[in-house]
Amino acid sequence: MRGVRLGAVAGSLLPNGLAGNAVAGLVRRARGEFGLLGFLGFLMALATVIQPRFLNPSNLRDILVQAAPLLMVTMGQAFVILVRGLDLSVASLMATVAVLATAFNAQSDVMIAPIFAAAIVFSALVGLINGWLVTDRGVSPFLATLAMMILLQGLRFSYTQGAPAGNLPAGFRVLGAGDLLGVPINLLVTLALAALLWLILHRGVFGRRVFIVGGNPRAATLVGISANRVTIACYVICSVMAGIGGLFLVGFVGTLDNWVGRGYELDSIVAAVMGGVALTGGRGSIAGAFLGALILVMIFNVIVIMGLPVQGQFVVKGVVIIAAAAVYANWTIQHRSRA
Amino acid sequence: MIRTMADMAGALADTGRVNIPRLALGVMLGLTAVAGIFVNPHFTSPRNLANILEQAAGLGFASIGQTLTVLTGGIDLSIGAIISASSVFLAAGIDGNDAMVWPMVAATLALGALIGATNGLLVVRLGVHPLIVTLGMAAIVEGCILLYTLKPTGSTPIWFEGFAWSRLWGMPASGLVMVSTFAVVALCLARTGLGRNIYAIGDNSVAARMRGIPVGQMQVFVYGASGFFAALAGVYFVSRTGVGDPRIGVPFTLSSITPVILGGTLLAGGKGGVIGTLFGVLLISLIGNVLNHMNVATSIQWVVQGLIILAAVSFQGRRRPL
Repeated sequence: MRGVRLGAVAGSLLPNGLAGNAVAGLVRRARGEFGLLGFLGFLMALATVIQPRFLNPSNLRDILVQAAPLLMVTMGQAFVILVRGLDLSVASLMATVAVLATAFNAQSDVMIAPIFAAAIVFSALVGLINGWLVTDRGVSPFLATLAMMILLQGLRFSYTQGAPAGNLPAGFRVLGAGDLLGVPINLLVTLALAALLWLILHRGVFGRRVFIVGGNPRAATLVGISANRVTIACYVICSVMAGIGGLFLVGFVGTLDNWVGRGYELDSIVAAVMGGVALTGGRGSIAGAFLGALILVMIFNVIVIMGLPVQGQFVVKGVVIIAAAAVYANWTIQHRSRA
Repeated sequence: MIRTMADMAGALADTGRVNIPRLALGVMLGLTAVAGIFVNPHFTSPRNLANILEQAAGLGFASIGQTLTVLTGGIDLSIGAIISASSVFLAAGIDGNDAMVWPMVAATLALGALIGATNGLLVVRLGVHPLIVTLGMAAIVEGCILLYTLKPTGSTPIWFEGFAWSRLWGMPASGLVMVSTFAVVALCLARTGLGRNIYAIGDNSVAARMRGIPVGQMQVFVYGASGFFAALAGVYFVSRTGVGDPRIGVPFTLSSITPVILGGTLLAGGKGGVIGTLFGVLLISLIGNVLNHMNVATSIQWVVQGLIILAAVSFQGRRRPL
């Protein structure tokens, strides 16, 4: 919060209160999205110094195509974190949705739309259950979504008996890895979804409620907002984004196994946190989540470019997670005020 | 129907006279035991009971430390990585050499405690949520082990397997060690200033600091202890399998939390204890034993495990921890 105070001080020195607000906003942003952009630029400069080929359009394209599913999941995850939750079931849901898609055993691309519809409905249902457990039943988000993760995993393996069979329409591969007018399709979809989520979170009534509920659930109830309903909606958004992300990830990977998306639950949380979405709830933005995920993917890419063994990614990831959290988020040890 | 029951349970719990989580745990233990008697005529044989205790040992060691971190209002997601690391470190260090066994066991436990204490130090110094710190530490430790080896490695003398497999008075030695470790930790929590401080921090760390409790030091200690017990689980697995497996700990990061919650320790901290965790561990082992005897596929066991966690926590009432 130091940045905000600094901005307020700077603002009070100005005759015009409005200008003061603008300065406060600028300083706040310097710590937020602009800071993230700066870090992203630094990473790209670092990568270019190590390996000039990094700036090749084809390499940049690869990074973005790889990043798209994580971007989708992270933006969804941000909604849940904003209302003081977290969703560990996203990765398991991604794989389950992928298995669900093969269950259609579709041969032609006509089936893509019904598969997407089914996946979205199924994901929304999962989100609804997560949200119901967290709000109505008062289960901690960690446990509710952990149990959902194990549950989905069990259902998936019971259905596939270990090895998924069934066919995916060829169009999935195009969606996941193909281009439209020279731009990766999955990136276009990601940007469209980002724009939609930005409208929902930063330009609508619902978004304002999300911040109020995340900032102080009791106050939200006092001003007549149903904190439970807002929270459930956030879990549904998160699950639907994970479901869509899962389908695009299968399209990108091209093959299906029972563990598609493994690791995305933690990666998406880490990315959101690096993007300035506070685990304490009520603070964060879609742009931040977007940039956080991009930074995480960029870090992985830098490790590959440096020629480090893939296992080295784990080490660097760990160091970066802790360092970024320490820099970007002002968590105190008293991490959650008990509302 | 379930909802009204759960609400009633919550209301009862709020009166403070009935400990609902413990009651629910007892009921579930009883029901599972009855189911076990039905499906397996040898269920109550000393041999089967010893098996149940023996199979609980690994999870037991892993979840003692987790209970402590959860009691302070934190969480330790590096337990799995520390188990894997200590298993590889120990087996590779012994490498079949008799004389190296005890020095290496001591070094392994020290290593675990050191990694854990580093977690605690980072939580205190950086002011970062333990979830993130321990997650980051898990990635670092896992990366280091995998850089060292991708395959199970090292070997131990045959006699070292005694810790995992031998029986004392018909009881498995590992299970007895596990239960006595729980007893010692429970005693420390209940009877020492250390234990009272842990509860005080979990209850309200700001108030604890105002009362002059060294919150930072206590957190370093608690995460260090968590790492120590995770290393103990690693030692147990080396004794059980004879090799160091770089992936053996993976499932324990999340599964070590389940018995803690089943045992009635709140994720928000300050309430609960290790005895509940012990019974949570026994319940999980018992359920595994019954399901295995019914030849239930692993995938269905996962479904059952998920449902049990949900059932247990849904009945904890309307508190909103973490």
